[in-house]
Amino acid sequence: MTPTLPPPDDKTSDTSMSRRNFLRGAAAFGGLTALAASLAPLRQLEDFSSSEQFLQKYYKELTPDDMTKVIGRIEREVQKEYGIRPHVRDLKPMDGVEFVYCLNLTRCIGCRKCVHACVNENNQSRNPEIQYIRVLKMPHGSMDVEKGDHTYEAKSVPEKGFFYMPVQCQQCQNPPCVKVCPVNATWQEKDGITVIDYDWCIGCRYCEAACPYWARRFNFTKPEIPKERLNPNMAYLGNRPRKQGVMEKCHFCIQRTRAGKYPACLEVCPVGARKFGNILDPESEVSYIMREKRVFIQLKEEMGTSPRFFYYFDK
Amino acid sequence: MVFLGLGGFFIVNSAARPAAGKEIPLVDVKFLDRTASRRTYADLVKANEDLSDYDCYGCHEKGKPPPIRYDANQKIIVPKEHSDVVMGHGSHDRNNLCYNCHNEQNLLTLQVRDGREVGFDNIPQLCGSCHGPNLRDWEAGAHGRTSGYWDRSLGTADRLSCANCHNPHAPRIPTRESAPAPHSLHGPAGTSSPHETTH
Repeated sequence: MTPTLPPPDDKTSDTSMSRRNFLRGAAAFGGLTALAASLAPLRQLEDFSSSEQFLQKYYKELTPDDMTKVIGRIEREVQKEYGIRPHVRDLKPMDGVEFVYCLNLTRCIGCRKCVHACVNENNQSRNPEIQYIRVLKMPHGSMDVEKGDHTYEAKSVPEKGFFYMPVQCQQCQNPPCVKVCPVNATWQEKDGITVIDYDWCIGCRYCEAACPYWARRFNFTKPEIPKERLNPNMAYLGNRPRKQGVMEKCHFCIQRTRAGKYPACLEVCPVGARKFGNILDPESEVSYIMREKRVFIQLKEEMGTSPRFFYYFDK
Repeated sequence: MVFLGLGGFFIVNSAARPAAGKEIPLVDVKFLDRTASRRTYADLVKANEDLSDYDCYGCHEKGKPPPIRYDANQKIIVPKEHSDVVMGHGSHDRNNLCYNCHNEQNLLTLQVRDGREVGFDNIPQLCGSCHGPNLRDWEAGAHGRTSGYWDRSLGTADRLSCANCHNPHAPRIPTRESAPAPHSLHGPAGTSSPHETTH
């Protein structure tokens, strides 16, 4: 028997199909926009992620020619962003040099000038604020950092009954931050400075969690540096501007110290509490201090990190 | 409708920028200043500046040591011509005799207690005659301010002298204002009011 009956919903098929089509279309539209929205953050990448940078090799595999190109790219990017042509260098560790920092707790008055000299030298973000040095205000008679307060505001320092202990990257001989990095974007160089390749860091923040000194900082947003305060003397592993999503920390002012100069925090200290030098040179200030002064060995030495940053007393 | 709504929401949401956060004023440049807090005689000579403050015999008479006057409490009366001098050297200001350091025979020089004459441009020797350990540390580079090059084969280091930081008449370092505390991501430092000024 030939089918004589028309499809039962022949008459109503127009409306039924259009309802289905409408739902299909709406779902497809919704899905596509959701996909587009989920990819939207990539739009913000276009600025810094030139294909050159994306394809850049690991720092230790770069040939001198590669490095010249990389430095050229960084100089172009900085000029585009800040209108200032920087002088970027890739300074290597010096032979026979191992850096040590000594800080005199008897002298420090807690004025925080080191904090801001550091920010100014190393092109840290001003908003949100990124600072490598925290000055702990500690009650006399205790070395317990849990009692330290780094948010003190004082009309006049030093305050009676307190001493001040600036804490920054301790440049450990046994750095826990290096061990946890899943991509080897941070490592210890032979002059003792633990460095970060900002182009290799993936921003997982494991190193921040591993550091017992709270020395590492994360760029949650794009760093904000006013043009007039940009320091154009830059180093690849040092103070070149960072981008959103990478770690940074104190690197003993690599752009200064590997060129033979003192770090910025030392030069600004109004009481001469900060001393820096080559521990392998017996004539250096730091060697003298280690021999002659009462050196409170290392902060949190029970962690086994063996810092190259020493606190000491005068009397 | 649900899909349409979601689609619309995603589009609007992706256009929104992350919250800019609150304004943080730039730190005052006075906190970035790395010059010495005081200038010594040697600095003035080097900069070829006015040395009239050191022209003692413009007022005093040669060969006639200025007398020292005391008040009822045996405190030195600082003459009004020297009103910028604040006496405050030593615990309980016990180093309070001008001629402990100034040379009464020749006001243009200073003197160590054993009689050695010391020029105004060579004060570490004078200060070190009492503060031996500090002189020893200073000579080794462990006391006082330094700038320039730690690697002396690449450049020179600029060592500051005693009076660049200490006022010889009142050597204790004065207290000073501290630079601002870190601004936390979530509001003014030291408070627990997150998002107070954001959005």
